[in-house]
Amino acid sequence: MDAQKKILLVDDEPEYLDLMGKFFQKRGIGFETAGGCLEGLDWLGRDQFDVVVMDVAMPGLDGLQCMLEMKKLQPPPEVIILTGHSSLDHTLRGIKNGAFDYCLKPVDFDHLLEVILLARKKHSESVQPQK
Amino acid sequence: MSNLLSLFRNLFDRNREPLQDPQDLEKVFKERYRHFRGLLTANNSALQAMADLEKIYYSGESYRMAAVRSQVTAILVNVFKMIRELRELSGGKYEELEKRFDVISKEIEAVIERKPEPPKGPSILPLSQVSRKVRGLTGEKMANLGESATVPGITIPYGFVLTAAATNYFITHGHLAEMNRRLQILDPEDLEGLYATCDELQKMIIDTPLPADLEELLQLNYANLEKLCGKDCRVALRSSALGEDSTGISFAGLYTTILNVDRDHLAEAYKKVIAGKYGPKAIAYRRRRGFRHEDIEMCVGCLAMVDANVSGVAYSTYPAAAGPTVRIVATQGLGSGVVEGSAQSQTYLVNREEPHLLIEEIAIPTPRLLSEQMLAEIARAALLLENHFEGPQDVEWSFDQKGKLYILQSRPVIIPEEQNELIAPENITKAGEQPTLLNGGVCASGGIACGPVYHIRTEEDMRTFPKGGIMVVEYPLPDWAPLLGRAGAILAEHGSEAGHLATVAREFSLPAIFGLPGLLSTLPEGKEITVNCSERKIFPGCCKTTLAQMKPPRDVMVGSPVQRLVTDALRHITPLNLNDPSALQFKPSYCETVHDITRFCHEKSVTEMFNFGDRFSFNTKMAKRLVAKVPLEWWIVNLADGIREGAVEDQKSIHLDDIISGPMLAVWRGISYSPWQGPPPISARGFGSILLQSTMRPELDPAVGSAMSTKNYFLISKNFCNLSVRLGYHYAMVESYISDFLTESYITFRFKGGAADMRRKAVRVRLLADVLREYDFRVELQADILLARIKRQPREYLEQRLQVLGYLITHSRQIDMVMDRKEAVNRYKEKFIKEIEEMLSTASV
Repeated sequence: MDAQKKILLVDDEPEYLDLMGKFFQKRGIGFETAGGCLEGLDWLGRDQFDVVVMDVAMPGLDGLQCMLEMKKLQPPPEVIILTGHSSLDHTLRGIKNGAFDYCLKPVDFDHLLEVILLARKKHSESVQPQK
Repeated sequence: MSNLLSLFRNLFDRNREPLQDPQDLEKVFKERYRHFRGLLTANNSALQAMADLEKIYYSGESYRMAAVRSQVTAILVNVFKMIRELRELSGGKYEELEKRFDVISKEIEAVIERKPEPPKGPSILPLSQVSRKVRGLTGEKMANLGESATVPGITIPYGFVLTAAATNYFITHGHLAEMNRRLQILDPEDLEGLYATCDELQKMIIDTPLPADLEELLQLNYANLEKLCGKDCRVALRSSALGEDSTGISFAGLYTTILNVDRDHLAEAYKKVIAGKYGPKAIAYRRRRGFRHEDIEMCVGCLAMVDANVSGVAYSTYPAAAGPTVRIVATQGLGSGVVEGSAQSQTYLVNREEPHLLIEEIAIPTPRLLSEQMLAEIARAALLLENHFEGPQDVEWSFDQKGKLYILQSRPVIIPEEQNELIAPENITKAGEQPTLLNGGVCASGGIACGPVYHIRTEEDMRTFPKGGIMVVEYPLPDWAPLLGRAGAILAEHGSEAGHLATVAREFSLPAIFGLPGLLSTLPEGKEITVNCSERKIFPGCCKTTLAQMKPPRDVMVGSPVQRLVTDALRHITPLNLNDPSALQFKPSYCETVHDITRFCHEKSVTEMFNFGDRFSFNTKMAKRLVAKVPLEWWIVNLADGIREGAVEDQKSIHLDDIISGPMLAVWRGISYSPWQGPPPISARGFGSILLQSTMRPELDPAVGSAMSTKNYFLISKNFCNLSVRLGYHYAMVESYISDFLTESYITFRFKGGAADMRRKAVRVRLLADVLREYDFRVELQADILLARIKRQPREYLEQRLQVLGYLITHSRQIDMVMDRKEAVNRYKEKFIKEIEEMLSTASV
């Protein structure tokens, strides 16, 4: 696994970013936060990320549209979508469009962490052959 | 399994493409192996979620739509992942499967997202135009009230109903989505959060202005009411929810009623009653009974106030010692105190026959509120309504100051299962029963429970209420309703079985005794007690003889919208139609359910994975014989990194010491443990049966069998092991992936066949199942096929279970022959468990 790469958290609810941020901070995992899609894309252009954790329901470009943009980057980050009240259809569409996995809100952080580590593993496996 | 065998054959005796660069080959293999593993992980998760969905469905306990939605999401997402991995693995085959999945998942989505039809009709209806026919627009309560007025001899107040069409017009789609969003992200156990959210939701509704045309229509109808009842008449706004009172479910007293409303406060009061749908007690109740919020639509009755002198409730049929009676509970002024359980009330039992003579008064303080003539009048009305609605009724009534009787509500009665108030509580102790701490009161809801006492006085107390605790309160207020889902029983010093909380307790089958003074002082907090509410007795401690009389609780979800929805969804999920991989119908187009798709994917993934040799020129020497001090042939196929780096390369064999596959080594420890001391003496019948089968099925005869039937294969990587064994007559497969991630760690074990007749095979798999359950496997049995699995556990735990499987594979093979004796089964079970325990303790040293 690439130790320098960070996790990007994208959510329009500041309290949620705060909550997640604290969790990762405690575990010494590098991360950045973004309050929306554009800010998130901005971060991806500036720094090295392997995993994006993103809420699907956001004002402006929603998580699913945003993911499509992120997937155009090289190498594309693995995206984990957070779905809460949203319909079944949203989650399934997210997976079909290339999300690594999903987590339901309210988030079980230990489960989220495991999904993130799995996503990291996949990212490093799929990036390496190109080196 | 035939596919598994055929793929092994593929491995060894097909013509191959030119040999590829070994490194390329390894890379291609690793890639495929990753997809295969991903598929297996998704398969396990999908099956687990299906099992969990069935578990909540069949549990008889309450469950919420959120839980259903989360399981269904997990099922669909993981099945989609399986399809994707299979398509990757097969180089793009099985496009048809994806189409089938889209069709099936759309069907499931349609079920899950199914909403009730929006009501159509006028926004306001005068009560004089309301009857049962329009209950889809006015809600049950107002429909029944309007209908009551059609019965000669029944008078109801003047009024009108703001229908579901009006609510729908007022509360927009956007409102609903936002409210559902806020409710869904709530932790169901978080009462504090629930209260805060409810406040927000209610405020949201109350702060929304009524559409101008609805506001004017409301004023217009009020003006019409003034013409009948006098200028500036006061009105009562009463909830009348659509969907309540159906299927024997009554949301008694959980919604809002506002009395004495004047013209200026009409709109505000209307909005408050609508907002009552989002009160914490109503939300808790809906969740518990399997109603989504959209299944309930709030309608509002606007009734002219009755200037009440005395009010109360009446049961048209009430069982008493001398036969059925009419039971009347009365209180001074407005009747709300009776149903809220907070007022001093008087109770009368009245003869059902004319002239409705008084039979008994219960605990009546002077002066008496109702004359015999008034009692007869109430009884007569209650019986008229019972006759009209064709069943016992629970009637709310009021006498005004002029002595005129008004009916305010009539609904089917839910009678407590056991009514024995007229029989004095027995102080005589039954055999084996302890002396009671307290007895008496009213059985508000029958049943038995045991738990610690918890006093509830404030909302603060509610938040710390422990699950299974015995609630002890002074008054049985409807505000305590959110706790009923967590309580073991409820005891109140005041109140009667006519109160709302009593009704709700009966619906939840929650034992309840009301009207028993001295509870709070006699039962200190934390004290363990046993309550027998049917007999109105309270015992100290956990009274086993009493608990032994408990009846199974009834399914609180029966007939609810959520349960109907899950029933429909499961039809698209769990039935398995594709049973036989060799059948012509084993195709994507024959997949009718999600389960079919998982079955298909799993079967094909195994084939595709091990077709590798076919497509990519697999070296025959890929399979190497294991060098170890054991009988039988064991072959190793190293899929990826299952062999130590720098191991001595040998074309034909591999040494056990060079294997670094964790799961394989664990199984091997079990296989090689404590060599079998030879088969037990064979009973003549058992042996005969085996001989017979061998003759009928030549492939079972070891002398005739192909090379495959005598070899046992380990497919390994560092974290993975798939072992297929054909030992003697039976087939077993162990598959395990163990990593540091719980999500992808699992063991599955399949066992099938074996010589001997079907009955004996079945006995044997049951023995295996018993042993496996001892070690926490989830076991499924079908005739002589056994499937056992464990997932999401730490490495050491799983490796121990693999050892158990290794042990069982070698030790179960000959027991067939003695399995016609019942006591032998138990003897073997004990022996196995004893030896396994020895094995596990040796290993850990």
